[in-house]
Amino acid sequence: MRLLHLSDSALPIGALAHSFGLESLVSAEALNVGALPGFLRGYLQEAGMLEGVACREAFRLAPAEQQKFFAVRWIEINDCLSALKPARESRVASAALGRNFLQAALALGDFPVLQEARDASLKSMSLMHHAAAFGLVSATFGFNETHAVLAYLHQMTASLVSACQRLLPIGQNAATCILWNLKPAIVETSELSANCTLDTVDCFMPLLDWGAMAHPALPTRLFIS
Amino acid sequence: MAGTAQKGLAEGAPDILGQSRVRATMRLDFEYDSDVGNTFLAASLQEPPLKVVRAFTLEDGTALVHLHNVSGGLLAGDHLALNVNLGCSTSVQLTTTGATRIYRHRPYSSPTTQCNEVAVGENALLEYLPDAMIPFAGAKFHQRTSIDLAAGAGMFWWEILSPGREARGELFDYEQFDMRTRVTALGRKIAAENISLRPGSQNVSSLARLGPYHYVATFYVCRVGLNAGVWHAAEDLLRKLTSRLTRPGEILWGVSSLVAHGLIVRCLARCGRDILPGLHSVWREARLYIYGRDAIPPRKVN
Repeated sequence: MRLLHLSDSALPIGALAHSFGLESLVSAEALNVGALPGFLRGYLQEAGMLEGVACREAFRLAPAEQQKFFAVRWIEINDCLSALKPARESRVASAALGRNFLQAALALGDFPVLQEARDASLKSMSLMHHAAAFGLVSATFGFNETHAVLAYLHQMTASLVSACQRLLPIGQNAATCILWNLKPAIVETSELSANCTLDTVDCFMPLLDWGAMAHPALPTRLFIS
Repeated sequence: MAGTAQKGLAEGAPDILGQSRVRATMRLDFEYDSDVGNTFLAASLQEPPLKVVRAFTLEDGTALVHLHNVSGGLLAGDHLALNVNLGCSTSVQLTTTGATRIYRHRPYSSPTTQCNEVAVGENALLEYLPDAMIPFAGAKFHQRTSIDLAAGAGMFWWEILSPGREARGELFDYEQFDMRTRVTALGRKIAAENISLRPGSQNVSSLARLGPYHYVATFYVCRVGLNAGVWHAAEDLLRKLTSRLTRPGEILWGVSSLVAHGLIVRCLARCGRDILPGLHSVWREARLYIYGRDAIPPRKVN
């Protein structure tokens, strides 16, 4: 139940304020309702893999809480994610969600590991990405690694579907069907992410990168990113 | 028959095949001559098919070098390495004499690989301005690039990937194109790309990837030490230019600040014709803003 709570897209960390470049694609009439399921499948194969791997790597940090390398590795994971996210708006959005998520988790009790992670990031001026924060918090709270990655990928996909409901003429039932039908792709992405590291995971989304880069210039915007 | 023999050789003596792979390294070391204010090619190692004729001095003292591959392209099983070192305060322009052709992969050969290692010293400037990479039908290519920027170092670095020999009707007929790029500044990663395109097993035209576009170009503009405000202003400035260059459905241009010390420009295009002129426009404007100096387009044979 706690994992469900933390992975609920309604958790007040600001997830609903970001489209990660989708708004530009819709505005440029590149993305429509018919193309959405295929787009989301491709999104999971690329961005989903990257985020899933980052979530796992941060999850696996937690048992090393007594080791001095914990903070160094935590920063490496987040710096690597920052470098792999070329579009500023999407990178900043991911970091805002990560910071808010970690803050929300810290408010739930006394968790020295999370405190140390936050302090290390602030000290080194490194961003804290949502996927990494979710993995670390999940391990700290004693969740199962696979469950945590599945929950993260599910809320990520649900947030995008929710953004599309505001950008495209999609009804509640259609949105539910799209998300429902993506469950096998989410499971597959989670499984594949177990075999990669941040050094080896591939992520190539140039069209969506363009969308995120062009977003600040949109004349009217519903989303921050 | 030849194929069978080749297969037998591969199964029976994979080491022999491994040893027969072309392994060629080009190493270029540049230094700054403070007496005359020029950069010069201080040392070089050139193993065939990689070749540099000489370094040409541009009017601002920059050393211009054309990178040649005398075999005409990257052959199946080639394993090439480029190692470039820029000393303090040097200014270097590297370009190619034409498109980099990546030929068809041959059964039982290893994938074609290119490994680039670049170190840009303090207050040095590297401009890497090659023509497009063209993976032919059946090509299998892996590239690894590592760029390290020291304090005050700058870089203009672009790469263009075409879908294949478009004029022959080859669109995404290559087998595999992998590219790993890492850019670090003062020891910290500021940009990275992990690209793997396998048109035979993935939909490269998915909207999550290239969508309806066939060409993709990436252009890094970096200068270590400039603060975030400068890069945000540069981003705004270049966005005006890239917006003018953009024609949805034909060519898209985007620009964004990196996590620090630079920005990235992305281009997607249905045809390759407009990419190089667009890159030159962005380069000129970015160079003027970041360095206060005009760009000097590399002289080519044609």
